[in-house]
Amino acid sequence: MEKPVTGTRKVFMTGNETVAWAALAAEADIMFGYPITPQNEIMHYWTRLGAKYDRGFLQTEDEISAGFTVCGAIIAGKKAFTATAGPGNTLMQEPFSMAEAMRLPIVAIIQQRGGPSSGTVIYSQQEVTLTTYGGNGEGHRIVYSTASHQELYDYTIKAFNTAWKYRFPTFVLGDGYQAKMREPLEMYDPEARNLEIIKPSPMVGLPGQIGIDREPQHLCNIYSLEEELYDVVLKVQAEYDGIIPELVEYECRECDDAEILVVSHGVVSRSTDDAVMALRSQGIKVGAFRPITLRPFPSQKLREILRSGVKKMLVVESAYGQLVRLLKQEIYGETVPIETLLMPGVGIIDADIISKVKSLIQ
Amino acid sequence: MGLVRVALAGEGGQGVQSVAEIMAEAAYDEGLQAIYIPNFGLEQRGGVSIAFLQVSDRRIGAPKFNKADVVVALSQRAMIRTHTYSGPDTIFVYDSSFEVGEGDLPSQYKMALDMPAVEKSRELNTRVFNVIIMGAILELTNMIPVQAARSALERKLGYKFEKNPELREMNFKAIEIGQALVQNKLKGGEKVCASSM
Repeated sequence: MEKPVTGTRKVFMTGNETVAWAALAAEADIMFGYPITPQNEIMHYWTRLGAKYDRGFLQTEDEISAGFTVCGAIIAGKKAFTATAGPGNTLMQEPFSMAEAMRLPIVAIIQQRGGPSSGTVIYSQQEVTLTTYGGNGEGHRIVYSTASHQELYDYTIKAFNTAWKYRFPTFVLGDGYQAKMREPLEMYDPEARNLEIIKPSPMVGLPGQIGIDREPQHLCNIYSLEEELYDVVLKVQAEYDGIIPELVEYECRECDDAEILVVSHGVVSRSTDDAVMALRSQGIKVGAFRPITLRPFPSQKLREILRSGVKKMLVVESAYGQLVRLLKQEIYGETVPIETLLMPGVGIIDADIISKVKSLIQ
Repeated sequence: MGLVRVALAGEGGQGVQSVAEIMAEAAYDEGLQAIYIPNFGLEQRGGVSIAFLQVSDRRIGAPKFNKADVVVALSQRAMIRTHTYSGPDTIFVYDSSFEVGEGDLPSQYKMALDMPAVEKSRELNTRVFNVIIMGAILELTNMIPVQAARSALERKLGYKFEKNPELREMNFKAIEIGQALVQNKLKGGEKVCASSM
């Protein structure tokens, strides 16, 4: 069958359409989903495109079953994924927790909307806590926070590879702006860039006789004894800690001699970049740090930067302190004062950041 | 050119999002950077629909903006809804047919511009009302050549134009009417080419 994306192609499209193309390029087999704004068009495009490339789709009765059907398909060896937002993300924490417990390489695209509850259908960065640490577990997850359509394409492909390589639930954390806006990007065939696409494999119905040819598969999300669970959680934690250095991703801009360091993630980091360029041209020593992986968090790098002469840190987010909390636990012990610009559920532009930074140096 | 920011608001069904998308595509075709983001409420139909469009020759940061260079309000209540996007450098455009009372215009604007777009669209065809508005925006901002907008229109509606070539003429005529409305209003005066940021 013909490949969905051949070579490299410049396109101008919405973020949701971008995700659908990226999932095709990543050789995803099937999507399970339930409609919720602002991720709906991921499903719409997937159903339209998927039919041409022999991929599957099932709309379930709600988000809980969408998450669990992804779990089931993955156990059967299919590269399955879902996409949701807001209250849908809340409901999916149950299946996401099961995926954590059973080490299922679930991939979910989260297009954040305003909260709490139905909030708005538009935009926010209020699903950081939920996506990194939601569920009744330890947050054994990998979360990429994207800032552009190019990254939505790149990191959706990467999310499938990361999930199937490390067997931890993997998330692409976008937002309603990224979902709905149109901007240019380059789509490419991963093979043309020597990017290996990791193949899925089933976790049940394996060849050979149990006890003779192979050990039994032990896909378990419940244990009889507390001590059993304790051993499992510690083992998973150790594995997670072990892969952190391979996983963490971040961006630094003008960090080397920065006295004020602006920390932001996702689409807000675009405004931070513009603000830093404008402030630098006025001779203000400001830098930008952007965690791309929110989980695991690039804490080591951030600590290094903070110790290299930063006098103040400014955390900027379209939420009321979710990135702040995440960051505080990750850099515990550092003494650089933390200032904040917190605008839950609304967009933040460069002028907002510029005036805040200027207020800090007066 | 620098960055041009347009907020275009109207009633659901007036075609606000369609023309914003056409202008964004045209800008992209011209090799410019463009971001178009629709604002959508909870309504399946009706309600005020706003399109945010940014076009620049450089990378565009935030997908949304606080104040626009040009705000176009295509209904009475869209005027109120878009006050927040009008600042001291904004050209605020609305239709001459609206009954503008106290508090209907934003507290800040550089110029308030009323145009008889509804009336003109009745003379031509009300279906191309949004294309008349597009012509006006192109004339006000100069963000893309008219030819680029025509080509983008052609690509979007070409299949309809094939069946009924009169539609093509009507749409292209609508762009010209929109341009003329602005020209008559400004009489060769001020234009918004770009903002400083």
